[in-house]
Amino acid sequence: MEKNKTSEDSIKILNRRSFIIIIVGAILSFIVSLRLFSLQVINFNFYKKKSVENKLSIKLTPPLRGDIYDSKKNLIAGSSSLYEFVVFKNLSKDHFQEIKKLDSLISLNLNFEEISKRLKKYNEYSGFSLSRASWEQIVEFEKNKFLFNSIKIIESKKRFYPYQNFSQIIGYMGQPTQSFELYSKGVFHLEKSYEKHLKGTPGKIFSEVNAKGKTIREISIEKSIKGNDLDLTLDLSLQNYAQSQLPRNKKGSIVVISVSDGSILSMNSNPTFDAQIFEDRQNNKIQDLLNDDQKPLFNRAFSGFYPPGSVFKPISALVGLQRNLIDPQKVVFCKGHSSLGDRNYYCWKKKGHGKVNLKKAIKESCDVYFYELAKKTNIDDIASLSSNLGLNKEYDIGLSNIGKGLVPSKKWKKAYLEESWYQGETLITCIGQGYNQTSPLQLATLYSALLNGGKYPIPKLDKNTPTKFTGKLLNNEHQKIIVNSLNAVVQEPKGTAHKLSISNPEFVKIGGKTGTSQVVRIKESEREDDQYKSKEIEERFKDHSVFVGYAPYDKPKYVASVIIENGGSGSAVAAPIAHKILDFAFKNNV
Amino acid sequence: MFKEFKSIFNLNWIYIFILLIIFWIGEINLYSAAGGSLDPWASNQLIRFLFFLPFFFLVIMLEPKFIFNFAEIFLILVLIGLITTLIFGYTGMGATRWIRIAGFNLQVSEFTKIALVIFMAKYFHKLNAEKTIGLFKSILPLIVSVIFFILVAIQPDLGTAVIILALGLVVIFYAGIKLIYPLISIGIVLSISPILWTFLKPYQQNRIQIFLNPDLDPLGRGYHIIQSKIAIGSGGLKGNGFLEGSQSSLDFLPEKETDFVFAIFSEQFGFTGSILLISLFFIMFLIPVLKTFKLTQAFNKIILFVLSFKIFFEFLINISMTIGILPVVGVALPFMSYGGSSLLSNLIICALLLNFMSINEKKRMFS
Repeated sequence: MEKNKTSEDSIKILNRRSFIIIIVGAILSFIVSLRLFSLQVINFNFYKKKSVENKLSIKLTPPLRGDIYDSKKNLIAGSSSLYEFVVFKNLSKDHFQEIKKLDSLISLNLNFEEISKRLKKYNEYSGFSLSRASWEQIVEFEKNKFLFNSIKIIESKKRFYPYQNFSQIIGYMGQPTQSFELYSKGVFHLEKSYEKHLKGTPGKIFSEVNAKGKTIREISIEKSIKGNDLDLTLDLSLQNYAQSQLPRNKKGSIVVISVSDGSILSMNSNPTFDAQIFEDRQNNKIQDLLNDDQKPLFNRAFSGFYPPGSVFKPISALVGLQRNLIDPQKVVFCKGHSSLGDRNYYCWKKKGHGKVNLKKAIKESCDVYFYELAKKTNIDDIASLSSNLGLNKEYDIGLSNIGKGLVPSKKWKKAYLEESWYQGETLITCIGQGYNQTSPLQLATLYSALLNGGKYPIPKLDKNTPTKFTGKLLNNEHQKIIVNSLNAVVQEPKGTAHKLSISNPEFVKIGGKTGTSQVVRIKESEREDDQYKSKEIEERFKDHSVFVGYAPYDKPKYVASVIIENGGSGSAVAAPIAHKILDFAFKNNV
Repeated sequence: MFKEFKSIFNLNWIYIFILLIIFWIGEINLYSAAGGSLDPWASNQLIRFLFFLPFFFLVIMLEPKFIFNFAEIFLILVLIGLITTLIFGYTGMGATRWIRIAGFNLQVSEFTKIALVIFMAKYFHKLNAEKTIGLFKSILPLIVSVIFFILVAIQPDLGTAVIILALGLVVIFYAGIKLIYPLISIGIVLSISPILWTFLKPYQQNRIQIFLNPDLDPLGRGYHIIQSKIAIGSGGLKGNGFLEGSQSSLDFLPEKETDFVFAIFSEQFGFTGSILLISLFFIMFLIPVLKTFKLTQAFNKIILFVLSFKIFFEFLINISMTIGILPVVGVALPFMSYGGSSLLSNLIICALLLNFMSINEKKRMFS
């Protein structure tokens, strides 16, 4: 060490440098303080909220789902509580061993392979439901509770459907696919569309937890609130009766609606299914159901679309009257066929109806009369009136896969088939064949519209929906002519459904229209013929039997629309069914 | 080797008082971090403190001349220690940072900081420059700093390594290197930082990325920063009160007893408490620094200034980490983080500072 003292210049440099470093240190402290100010003073509320959320665990408890009732307060879908064995992965590393232990203690017949597969996808903290727990099983479990760290008994809610016949309207509930779902949601029909209305509000258990999710203490409990009930316009007895009237081995559908307010009183489709199997998770049955080529999930009442056949004729007649194309008294001679260009269009009655006026044309369902009318008719007038009377419409009543159907027009054909319209197609359309596609629900609505004089109540399923009318008023005279003719179909001799009055004179008197919806073009002369027995025609090529009727004929309250697929002629199959159902509805005053 | 015993009465008692207050705040904080329990941290840390006290006084009583003379030896000792750590070290949490000596896990890198500053103080003292120092004369200390930086960085312990390098640079700057060189180096570092990035280990890159955006990994690495900010922010102006910090008592805050101990403090005592703590550390920094202005020996000045700066610097880095303005690099909060090596090395630093503050330069010292 040569010198004891550092030179004075050097000391000055050191002192100057220390000022710089002190200032830098002070600036850094200031920045840190500013940041603290921003966190703790300016954004205090934000972080406080986060902190509270951090330490609060809100456990939701499932609410009871609202009940569904028919119009007379019969329960048709209800909810109840049940208990399940639930495993929580986060509570024990040996949770899978515990599942096996549980299975050997209480034989639950668990499928370990599937459980382990599904468990892998599950969140640590959400319970995975192993199986339902019966009272005996719960007792057995509680006795051995100390063996299980990760398995608990948890309350959950179950839907039950006492009447299978409503499954196709009420739909069913899905299974929770995600672990964070508290309860299952409706996935089909009313259960789906009324989800918000029915689901209720979950209860909340607030508790303080640590970072590992362990509850320190419970702070407060909010009880769950049951969902709203849903009252339907359907009538339990009528729905069950109508279902029983559908031929077991045939596909078909029946719709009954109220003329006064559009209430759907019953709506059936065959084959049908039992929604309970979804709720009970009977996976094998669900698989069978989904693979069934008879399509039991398909509700023909509103998803099934068929050519309406002769029940469409009142629309053609109304167009004729409105456009002054026909005089109701003027007769047309039916010789069994009519020709347009070089083609012949046949009446179902080979030998012809002879002299036919409008009333007779409807009563006896003469095709030639309508061919002659069609020759003067613009197809777009038919389409426009059809839409006014409830066809070509999708009713928004909460049902899944409800369709719109089709009433052809020139514009439609150009857009979808890229072809212009031929007058021959008008002829076919006017008798309800050709491109026409209507559902049984639409046909019932059409007749309700005719009976209401054009301004008709929109069909409804929810009893608490206010009745809403739509459509344009028809000329009163025209409407009377049509309804008189429809009455004559059943009430007067030679009417295509006159047989109904003869075979069941004690039944309520009805009006209506038979129809035969063509599946394949067979000889026109065979249609509408009671003697129609096409043994040579394969079952699946047989025509659909259609009838739309109303009762009582002088003061209509109910409209029933019946279709039996491949049933044959309307008068032979669908009409007697409709008569029975209308009689039942009338006698029971549904 | 040792001073006369009576020199103990010349100590700066205000400094000792502040040191004790900070240590006591640290104890209270560890007590609350355990949810209102001495076990496991507060009691252990107190035992360590008491155990280290003899060393503390031993260092206070050392003759500055002894320290001056043995500066190179200290450096060689920590060099051997670091190499031993790398070869025989005890591995924990993916890094080899500790060696076992007589039943203690010792983190040599903590003491490297002290030895390096002493060595460089002696170097610049002997340089006895009349004016600002050129690049050439700074090369040796720079190389030494970088060697120690690398030895610690490969443990890997980036936080300590960066502090070591920073202290080396601060000494060079304080000793009077021409200002142009630091400015040029800053420019160079900024321009090659993308290349440096590729030398970082994936987990280190990850830490920096998550620092820039904690929400990248809210339940993983980002979790620390997010939870720490929640704890601090929820403290508000006045804090939740002693033992009332829910984030910490409910275990949301990981590493709360070590790197994130400030969050525990700030959650309980709020902005007010935090500013008080910053003030305490700033005063603690200034007391030795003010003494330097009265001293004329470069060795004394450098030791007092840079070692005092070291404690304050680590304090600032640590809380910057917890409030999300620096990446989480693992720098302990002096006297408050739980950990033996950090406590011992900081106590030794304070002892050195007390020792050098009581120097009477009228006596011939380094001859």
